[in-house]
Formats: sequence, structure tokens, C-alpha cells
Amino acid sequence: MSSYQNNSALRNFSALVDFSNLINSSLDLNFTLNNILLTCLGKFHTTKGMIALLNEENKFIVKASKGISQKIIDEFPAIFSFNYDIDEKFSEYLTKNNFQVYQEIKSTEGLKGLILLGKKLTNQEYDKEDINFLRTILNVGATAIENSLIVDKLKKINRQLDSKVNQLSSLFDLSKEFSGLLKTEQIAKLLVLSLIGQMLVSKYSIIISENEKSIFLENNFDKEILIKIFSQNDIKKIERPLVNEELAKTFQDLINVGVEIIVPMQLKGETKGLIVLGKRNNHLDYNNSDIEFISSLGSLAIISIENARLFNETLEKQKLEKDLETARNIQKNLLPNKIPTSEIFEIVAFNKSAKMVGGDYYDIIKLNNEKILFAIADVSGKGVPAALLMANIQAFLKSICKMNLPLDESTNLLNDLVAENTSNGSFITFFWGILDEKNKTLTYVNAGHNPPLLIRNKEIIKLKKGGMILGVMQTIVPYQLETIEMKANDLIVLFTDGITEAMNKNWEEFSDERLEKIVTDNNLLSAKNLLIRIQDEINNFTEGAEQSDDITSLIIKVIK
Amino acid sequence: MANFNVNLRNKESVSVIDVKGYLDAHTAPELENVFNKLIDEKQYKVVVNFDDLKYISSAGLGVFMAYIETMRENNGDIKFSNMKENVYNIFDLLGFPLLYEFFKNEEDAIKKFLES
Repeated sequence: MSSYQNNSALRNFSALVDFSNLINSSLDLNFTLNNILLTCLGKFHTTKGMIALLNEENKFIVKASKGISQKIIDEFPAIFSFNYDIDEKFSEYLTKNNFQVYQEIKSTEGLKGLILLGKKLTNQEYDKEDINFLRTILNVGATAIENSLIVDKLKKINRQLDSKVNQLSSLFDLSKEFSGLLKTEQIAKLLVLSLIGQMLVSKYSIIISENEKSIFLENNFDKEILIKIFSQNDIKKIERPLVNEELAKTFQDLINVGVEIIVPMQLKGETKGLIVLGKRNNHLDYNNSDIEFISSLGSLAIISIENARLFNETLEKQKLEKDLETARNIQKNLLPNKIPTSEIFEIVAFNKSAKMVGGDYYDIIKLNNEKILFAIADVSGKGVPAALLMANIQAFLKSICKMNLPLDESTNLLNDLVAENTSNGSFITFFWGILDEKNKTLTYVNAGHNPPLLIRNKEIIKLKKGGMILGVMQTIVPYQLETIEMKANDLIVLFTDGITEAMNKNWEEFSDERLEKIVTDNNLLSAKNLLIRIQDEINNFTEGAEQSDDITSLIIKVIK
Repeated sequence: MANFNVNLRNKESVSVIDVKGYLDAHTAPELENVFNKLIDEKQYKVVVNFDDLKYISSAGLGVFMAYIETMRENNGDIKFSNMKENVYNIFDLLGFPLLYEFFKNEEDAIKKFLES
């Protein structure tokens, strides 16, 4: 062996040792590839080189290059591990760009990539020794590339894991926080903060469905367009997350305003709301893991929103019950606690409030030694407003009595007062009369109330004279009164529609006919016993079914 | 109970928010209040100093997303400084470095505002 050859071999060997030390000192892929290229360029005196590595689909992708324009890199053909060496695109590319040699990079696990090198500056061909040396470099390099690739992969997996851990801790954080919140607005706000923080989005909408209506809890998209779309499309029908093509297919209009994803918020498999998000500011797509995260967050939120709703409903119900209690008390206090007695007339009354508090009212007032005024009324509506209107009526009634006007004129006045003092279409059916003990007469005015029954010898006379319901409008047509002479054993039965419309379990009404039959069949009973009889009949009929309206009755019997 | 503390101070024309402790779903509203106050006062140049921040959750990150547009629309910005590595990792993981500027210390962040 000549000394020249010796020197050359020695130089090659020491270069290899250097190279091996260098590239194994780093696990950075770019550093490794860069050094393989630099070593080759230095050794073979060429100005250009390129390394392409196989990706997961076994396609070669350029990963590092020296002395090559971006254009040429971009033109690298689509070649694959299994047939690149017979692919014409590849040989054309080599020729066109003056790559003189290429060599496979193989690790113990097989083909990893290719190295392409340009012409030598000396214009000599690569000889056998050059190729051998190149192979040696690549053998050493392949292990380093393999290691770097594994590290890259691990890093990527690690980051995915970190990301998962991060998402889980966010979920944990929120589940803790949500459980303490009872205001829907707060829950929605927190949901938005977490979503935009985790997904890096700036456009969002949180929509829930309540009583068939879509409510926008949070939104910074074009609201009108969203309202339009979600009023035409039932959000309950969105049962899976919608992204990309699927979203475009269903809601192109949403894509136009910047929506990228819709994730339903579900409770027990039913969609109760939607999370709508725009594009991610980090230019990433929503991957499955992201969608899972948004879904989980949505589930947490909707449970809390539902709990908040139930809580508020309970609160509302308690308030309503208190309201009803107040109304009931007002009403109770309005009814007379003592009925005036008379030697001529036996007067009894009964009132039973329904659970929801109706607006029945009756009163019996002794005007003077000879005259007794009685009234029965049914105020439209229920609850506190009805009770208050009733209280008004009572006050009007008492003051009008003191004015000592005829009953018809008093009714005109009463109607004007009620019409003035009621709003939103409240009205009152009203009947009142004056019993005159001295003349034994009844004078009455009926303002739209169920006609009371006057029973005389099993005959029924309905007391209809009067005018229209109180409170509908100011008095234009004056009310008319009627005076009837009363005879011994005459019965007057006054009632509200709570009696004739009392329902049994089969949704049948007690009816006027039934009431009329009872009173004629029992016309010999005292007022008190007749009232008990009517109550019994109603109870037998309804069999304990809960009644929605008040039941009121007033019975007057002429004793002598 | 995790602790969180937020303090607001002015340095030249820049508002500096010091955040301390645990910024999570529970404490995020406190930070929101500070940002609302800044917007009311038309202070749009903000540096958040993370020196004493131990933990941040996505709701905490969300606060910065919620206000960044308003600040930038008014020629301001939200810049971050003095972040511990564990906190930075969370920002990094979610891609915040693409959208926000991070500085080693508060002074550099303020300087960046004053230069522009």
C-alpha cells in the first residue's frame, strides 16, 4: 500500500470517527441530517445534497438540503419506498437537477430514506471508494436518524399526553366550580372562558333550548343569522358534533359567518343546548380529542345549567305559593265572618277556595232595621290580582251602600268604578239584591252573573234582570232592577260557576240541570239543610277530584 | 382553598397586572374585573406579570382570549412576562406563543410598548 493510499485511509477513518462522535452527540433530527450532508459535501467536494426521509405512508419527504433552491425542493417527485428506483419521475428528477449519485439510508429496521448528491467540483465521477465511504457514513448516520426520529415521536406523544392531562385538569377544575354555581349566566360565562382559553378561539355562541325556544346565553357571532338558523332548525335534532364537510352540508350559512364547529350539549342522550365555535387562532383544526373535550365540558355545563333551572323553578314555585297564601288570606278576610240574622229570612252561605285561589266573593250587610243587602261575585283571574280586585269591590260596595241610592243606579256607579280600576281585561260577574223585611220583597240587579234560582212551589224562576258584566266598559246602557214580592217558603239559591262546572274524574260537569233538580226536589228543606245537601251532592259527584275553581253558594229562605 | 391575588399598577403609560397564586375557574372572574376596569379607563396597554403565579387553568387562559381583541383594536396589547416554566408550558401547549408576546422580564415588555 502506497503512503498516499495510507494517508487517505487514515484521513477517511479519522473523519468517520469525528462524524460518528458528532452526530451521536445530539438527538435533534435537523442537526443529524445537517451534519450528514455537510460531511458528504466536504468529503466529495460537491455543492449540493439532499436527504429525503420516509413518512408514515412510505413516501419520501425532503427533510434537509444544501445548495438547492426551494423551487427544486418543491419539485421533488411523489415517490414511494416500494418502487422509487424504477419510477421514471425519480430518474428524470436526478438527471434534470444534476444529481450524480443517490444512496439508500438503512437502519436495522429497514429503509429510512435517501441521500442525493450533486456533481463533484472536480468533475470526476464518484468512484467505488467514494461510494463505500458514503455507505459507511450513512450506516453510522442511519442509527442517529433512527434515534432522532424516535425521540421526535416520543416528544410528540408526550405533548399529546400533556395536552390530555391539561384538558382533564381543566375538566376537573370546572366540574368543581360549576357545581357551586346556581346562575345560568355565570355557568355560561365560565364555560366560554374555558373554551376560548383551551381552544384559542375568539368567536363563540352558547345556545340552550328552553320551552322549545333557543336562548342565546353567550354569543359574539352575527346573532341575527344564528337566530334565524336556529329558529328554523330544531337544535334538539343536532345529536352529534358537526365539523368540516358535515357542517357545510347542513349549515352553509353558519360557515359563512365563521362557524367551524357545533357540539351539542346533551343530558341523558337529549340535546339541550349547543356550543358553537369559530376557527382556532392557532390555525389548528379541531381534532377528535378537542371535540371530546368540548363535549365533556358541554355535558358538565348543561348538568349545572339544568340544576340551576330546577333550583330557580323551585324558588319560583315557593314564591308563587307564598303569593297564593297571601291571596287566600286577603280573600278570607273579605268574606263576612258573621251573617246578619233576620226573623223573616234564613240566610246561609258557603265558600270553599280552590287551591289556586279563584275570585269568588259574597257579602251580606244589614243596611238598617228593615233592609239586608247581599251580593255574590266572581272575579276573573286568580291569585293576588283577583283578590285585590275583590277587595276593591268590597270597598266600593260598602261606600255605595252608605249613599242610599237605588240598586240600579248603584250598579251603574259600581260598573264605572270597576271599569276605571281594572286593566288587562279583568271583569266581574256580579249579582246583588236587597231583602226588605217590612214589605217582604226582593229587589235585585244581575250584572252578568249565573242567574240565581228562585224556587217557588217547585217552580224555578231565574233572576236575570240587570245588565252586562262589570268592568268591561263604562256604563252606557243603564242597569235595570227588578223587585219581586216574596212568599213564605220561597227559596233563593245563589251560586258561582264553581258549582255548576265542578268536575268529576271523567271530566264531566256537575251542570245546571243537576243543581236545579236538587233544589226543586228538596224545596222543603231549610236553607241550612239545603246547603248541606248541595255540598254532599257535589262531593259525591266529584269523588274528591281536586277543583280548579272556588265554590260559593248563598241560600235564602223566606221563613214567614 | 386555593389562593389568588391580583394587583394593578401603572408603569409609565403601561398597566401592569400582577397575578399571584392559582388562576382557575373560581378565581378567573377576579381577573376579568381588572380587565373590565382597564377598558373602562381606556387603558389598553397591558403587561401581565406572572412572577408569583403557580397555576393557570383554561378558564384563566380564557380571560386573556376574551380581552385581547379589544386591547388590540385600541392600539394596545396584552403581553406576558416573568412566567415560570410550568406555567409557560401550559401556554405553549395550547399554542399561545403564536398569538401573544412573552418576555423574560416586565421591563422588556414595557419597553416594547414604549418603542412602538
